[in-house]
Amino acid sequence: MSASQSAVRSRAEAVKVSRTFDWLILFTLFFVVLGGYHIHYMLTGGDWDFWTDWKDRRLWVTVAPIVSITFPAAVQACLWWRYRLPFGAVVCVLGLLLGEWINRYLNFWGWTYFPVNFCFPSNLVPGAILLDVVLLMSNSFVATAVVGGLTYGLIFYPGNWPIIAPLHVPVEYNGMMMTIADLQGYHYVRTGTPEYIRMVEKGTLRTFGKDVAPVSAFFSGFVSILIYFLWHFFGKWFASTKFVESV
Amino acid sequence: MKIIKDKVAKLSFVALLITITAAMFYTPTASAHGEKSKAAFMRMRTIHWFDLNWSKEEVAVNDTMTISGKFFVFSGWPETVDKPEISFLNIGIPGPVFIRAGSWIGGQLVPRSVSLELGETYEFKVLLKARRPGDWHVHTMLNVKGGGPIIGPGKWVTVTGSMSDFRNPVTTLTGETVDLESYNLSNVYFWHAFWYGLGLLWVVYWARKPMFVPRSIAVEAGKADTLISPVDKKVAMAFGAGVIAIVAISMGQSNEQYPVTTPLQAGLLRGIKSIEMPATSIAVKVEDATYRVPGRAMQMTLTITNNGDSPIRLGEFNTAGVRFLDSAVAQDETGYPDDLLAEEGLTVSDNSALAPGQTRTVQVTASDAAWEVYRLADLIYDPDSRFAGLLFFYDAAGNRQLITIDAPLIPTFI
Repeated sequence: MSASQSAVRSRAEAVKVSRTFDWLILFTLFFVVLGGYHIHYMLTGGDWDFWTDWKDRRLWVTVAPIVSITFPAAVQACLWWRYRLPFGAVVCVLGLLLGEWINRYLNFWGWTYFPVNFCFPSNLVPGAILLDVVLLMSNSFVATAVVGGLTYGLIFYPGNWPIIAPLHVPVEYNGMMMTIADLQGYHYVRTGTPEYIRMVEKGTLRTFGKDVAPVSAFFSGFVSILIYFLWHFFGKWFASTKFVESV
Repeated sequence: MKIIKDKVAKLSFVALLITITAAMFYTPTASAHGEKSKAAFMRMRTIHWFDLNWSKEEVAVNDTMTISGKFFVFSGWPETVDKPEISFLNIGIPGPVFIRAGSWIGGQLVPRSVSLELGETYEFKVLLKARRPGDWHVHTMLNVKGGGPIIGPGKWVTVTGSMSDFRNPVTTLTGETVDLESYNLSNVYFWHAFWYGLGLLWVVYWARKPMFVPRSIAVEAGKADTLISPVDKKVAMAFGAGVIAIVAISMGQSNEQYPVTTPLQAGLLRGIKSIEMPATSIAVKVEDATYRVPGRAMQMTLTITNNGDSPIRLGEFNTAGVRFLDSAVAQDETGYPDDLLAEEGLTVSDNSALAPGQTRTVQVTASDAAWEVYRLADLIYDPDSRFAGLLFFYDAAGNRQLITIDAPLIPTFI
């Protein structure tokens, strides 16, 4: 076989090779993103995602979407721009969640015995699906950033509420009131995480009474728009082939 | 010759692999908490723990034990460490092998951070409920914002039984009793599995069609718009609407199921009550202090004045949790950890009773391997070479007076 001849001998064989190639790329993409996104999210979201007594209505709602819209924006930019594939955000979030669950189950529970109901990850799937849907429907990165980014921030808290609501039921404990989540944090000793580093319920957002979660979610959505733009450009730059072309 | 060389190389490689593999299987238990690595001045000049008591040395799963005692917030707090204005009474254990069922300072429950005052003494108690079997080193501990964890003395406690028997029941204000070990777990698994499944469905919808190579060719050929069909758009709209509907419905259902919820509780507890220590009638002046490196001994020249009305003797020097006793004056009856107790480690040049009104200058030597074992000798490498500690004086009736000392320390190497 000369160098100019094709490696495949029929259309069926070409399709088969192409599909094999598809799965190889998807598999690799999934695990590369899993690794990078997981490290990024643990470094930036960290304790807010680790512990139920950090999952509050102000800072968790604000921080988690802002720091987690990064990789979805970048991967969307690459997959949509190069392949018109609208699953970049969901692939990222599924990778992240798989990594997180492996970490929480094997390390947090299996190694150090923190109950899983205290250290489960945040649910990011609803926002990711909507981000992909907005990109597909609009075919516009600006619209995805503005509408998708805002939606991504807004949907985060309600998307997690069914999971965390039972942990916000109040308890009277030795003469003090706390939520079940607070009590988990108090009971399950974290030597390296003293109470004062817990960044919850801080800030000056006091004029909205008890309804601060929607305000925090809106703020998170606005910042998510900006972060989406920024990371979308990272993704475009990363997906560029001009470095390869010059070789 | 080449064959022999090749064989040697192969065997060496196999030996290397075996060594690496064997090393992987060597996993000794890590049971310390870095208490010996903490800078000596941090342990000597911040929090002085005393009158400590571990209520049990062996405890069954689900049973409780307490650690109680007092701590003095040292007046000569080092400049390099933030003052304990935001602190947290913690417990030094390897993860949740016990649960912290309660912790109190001055009778106040302290699940949150507290503000402590320099120069004050506080009484504390930590109630622990055994969870995981094993031998655990249980330390007192105070975290200080800007200072890090300040770990106190630790004692080995054995937990017996099986972790599967552990229960952690809590009754909520809505009247429901739940076990914190498993509460809400099935709900967490259900929602995560549900959303993960929906996400997978979205990916599978696209992955069942050709993905990378044909689509890339089409995009390069300017036919990108043909890659998204009207059916694809309908499916996407269904997903989008479905997600919003599921989130709205599930949130509504949660609110119906849990009508009473409160925000997380946080805040700083101020006004923690310190204990009134008895007025002291003894004055101590540190004339000089040296640490003799080869002898693992600290020597102080003290001028002691007894302004009280009964004769007194020096019984104990306590620094960084290490207790140096003059056994003729004071003995430990609390089961204090052996490695932190130098029962005959305190020598006083003249420790006869000091009569009221008298002043005496004495040479006091605190010597024990603990200086080395607990790396207190590393004090000589600190940026501010000072030492501090508590002196306990006793009268004939056993009444005790506590004096704090704080002075420069000069090392001697010969």
